[in-house]
Amino acid sequence: MTDQDAVVKTEAVIKTYSDNGVPVPAVRGIDLTVAPGEFTALVGPSGSGKTTFLNIISGLDDATSGKVWLDGNDLAEMNGRELSDFRRDKVGFIFQAYNLIPVLTVEENIEYIMLLQGIDKKERHERVSAMLAKVDLEGYADRLPPKLSGGQQQRVAIARAMVAQPALVLADEPTANLDSKTGGDLLDLMRELNQTTGMTFIFSTHDRLIMERATRLITLKDGRIANDELRG
Amino acid sequence: MTWSLYIRLAWRNVLRNKRRTLIAGTAVAFGLAALMFVDAINLSMTKNMVDSATGSFLGEGEISRTGFRKSFEVEFTVNDLPSVLAELKNDQRVTHFTPRVMTFGMLASPANNCAIQLVGVDPSTEKYLSEMDDKLVKGKYFAGNDQHDIVIGSKLADLLEVGLGDRVVVTAAQAHTGDLAQEMFRVSGIYFFDADELDKGMALIRIDQAQKMLNLDSQVSMIALDFHDRDIGRRPGDPFWAQYSKDGNEAIGWAELVPQLEKVFRLSKISQILVTVILFGVVALGIVNTLFMSLYERMFEFGVMRAVGTRPFSMGRLVVFEALSMAVISSVLGCVLGAALLGLTNFTGIDYSGIEYGGITFTKALYPIWSVHQFTLYPLLFLVFAAVIALYPAIYAARLTPAQAMRKSF
Repeated sequence: MTDQDAVVKTEAVIKTYSDNGVPVPAVRGIDLTVAPGEFTALVGPSGSGKTTFLNIISGLDDATSGKVWLDGNDLAEMNGRELSDFRRDKVGFIFQAYNLIPVLTVEENIEYIMLLQGIDKKERHERVSAMLAKVDLEGYADRLPPKLSGGQQQRVAIARAMVAQPALVLADEPTANLDSKTGGDLLDLMRELNQTTGMTFIFSTHDRLIMERATRLITLKDGRIANDELRG
Repeated sequence: MTWSLYIRLAWRNVLRNKRRTLIAGTAVAFGLAALMFVDAINLSMTKNMVDSATGSFLGEGEISRTGFRKSFEVEFTVNDLPSVLAELKNDQRVTHFTPRVMTFGMLASPANNCAIQLVGVDPSTEKYLSEMDDKLVKGKYFAGNDQHDIVIGSKLADLLEVGLGDRVVVTAAQAHTGDLAQEMFRVSGIYFFDADELDKGMALIRIDQAQKMLNLDSQVSMIALDFHDRDIGRRPGDPFWAQYSKDGNEAIGWAELVPQLEKVFRLSKISQILVTVILFGVVALGIVNTLFMSLYERMFEFGVMRAVGTRPFSMGRLVVFEALSMAVISSVLGCVLGAALLGLTNFTGIDYSGIEYGGITFTKALYPIWSVHQFTLYPLLFLVFAAVIALYPAIYAARLTPAQAMRKSF
């Protein structure tokens, strides 16, 4: 794989927060390349910099120094609006909880990104229906998120993350609020979608289930990569 | 396409916490209703003051010899009276007019005496202009043909210790010679306006008797006027005044006859603006507070929206739409509350009679005046104001980076 092919590439990424004027390093220089189609898990104890690093590679947060390329694009060269559009088109997000806009129905939540992209109604409807079928939520299109279980809400979040066919799906502790059965089912779904669509997934997690299913396991410690393990 | 999305989102967000929206909306609605009420009271006060000033006695305008108003000289009578009266009779703008003879004099009873303004009136036309006949509390208003009838105010009657049928003597200087003329009259009517200048300082006799006593032949001091359009009296530039200000006469409207009225109106306007500013300030704080509360409560949601590609401008737009949605709800509530308040006070009235303000004594209760602008302009202004005020939280929301928003939510 060349650097041009990498979905994510970082060079010496450092992130330091300021706590009442006291610098608090969160990421201390990470070099990483993620290839298309990977199903990667970032693991490590709390405070190891997983979420911060995930935020930086997705353009949700700025690095204090270092370089980040996402799908070949240098994030530092984009302004706020360009970054918004870039995330909309290239990155799908799944968070731990409160992923969805509670006043929009399942269908409206999934089509939200396509609305921002200006995709016409017919295509939106077709793609939403297809995604609902994939995440096994047909018949739930008109429900509001608070009327769904936690697992169902995460399925909707997966559908929303993937409906715009992004280059990368980032999932920050996606199973943390779910029981192990639901979490396992959800993970199987994501792995299946990863294999059928070829979309790249990067997880930040403590969940053993995700670690077991990941094709690559990157362990962070004190803001640095402590171990990078490729698995079958 | 995204406009409709954000409008829909804004409405649903505002209705998400119905209790909070209702409480905040009602507080804002009270402000709007208060503004409508103050405006309606101001309109009523203006009308009432003009009514009190012009309807009681003055009229909405007058024609007199140039200089009469300043000197009050009895021989300063209207020039070319027959042609002025003929012109007025054919003037479509004029509803009523009545000639008057006016001078200062002394009214004496066996018990006391008092300086008065003596007014000679033509009862047949005077009744259309002044309310003297309506305000009679004792006796009759020049009934029959007795040339020695005199109608006086109740406070003057008290001062002179006279009642109906009692004799009083009027002393006044005659025109041209300045000789004092004295004439005995019998009190035939007593009126009560609850306004000192009328109740204590004025006495009315028949105009022909006044002309005879003051040696005026058929001359009159002035002609009082009423119009179809009362505002003619407020516009010094109206062609009417130029038309009748000729041949040594001057014609002027009530705005110039009672100049303090315009000052009072200006004062009312300023107080209205102050009330508006204060109420809009309160409303602004209410809206900003509610928006920020809602914003902080949904910080993670804002973070997610930004993360999935919502542009900063769209985030700001959503906040402005939410403010507008809340303003629409508040405006509707405000209009309902305002209408209820106006309806109620219109039914009960607010008794201001006898209260003096700006030199004018209110003679009637205040009944708030409804106006279309109270239910259109104010809510519209309010919507615009809400949108402007919402820019502050909107800019705050637009500037949030997704990571910041998500961190702030924890």
